[in-house]
Amino acid sequence: MKNRLRVLRAERDWSQADLADRLEVSRQSVNAIETGRFDPSLPLAFKLARLFRTPIEQIFTDED
Amino acid sequence: MFVCKNNLSPLQRRSIQIFGANLGLTAVLSLAIRDLVKDMHPAAFLAYFAAILPTIPVIGIVAVVSRYLARETDDFIRMLVVQSLLWGLGITFVVDTYLGGLFAHPQIFRAIPILNIDLFCISVGAAIRIQLWRNR
Repeated sequence: MKNRLRVLRAERDWSQADLADRLEVSRQSVNAIETGRFDPSLPLAFKLARLFRTPIEQIFTDED
Repeated sequence: MFVCKNNLSPLQRRSIQIFGANLGLTAVLSLAIRDLVKDMHPAAFLAYFAAILPTIPVIGIVAVVSRYLARETDDFIRMLVVQSLLWGLGITFVVDTYLGGLFAHPQIFRAIPILNIDLFCISVGAAIRIQLWRNR
């Protein structure tokens, strides 16, 4: 699954650690999601959507 | 998370403390009971009872890991811990099978008693470190 997390984060000038603090997860989690090695759970995806004030579909896109 | 003490959440810190205490207790009790049974030759029923004692902290370890996995809110870290537990289990099986065959030989001296639980915990710890290093 592709995502625009890195772009959205860069637009706000947040580091991975800043985003991790806001999401209450580890920095490694943010890094793993950004690099596509880990797909977040639905609650975390909704949290991301709320944080970036963007629909989930605009953050995550199916690669198929 | 587990790389630096300052990055540990209160849940992780507490779990590691209880885990370590149980692990130490398991090692001490296992070695003490082994020596006691070997040197003092207690009655059979006492030996059965004594052998149960080191299993109590092992149950504690299982409980603390279960509690940690149930309460960890970071899905990615939870996944890494579960993967590391599986690695630990695999390494323990492999080493235990190897040592079981090796020590069956009468001329090979069993110098250091290696407890499976210690081996498992060391393997899990190493696997977590490696996983976190790979995902740094």
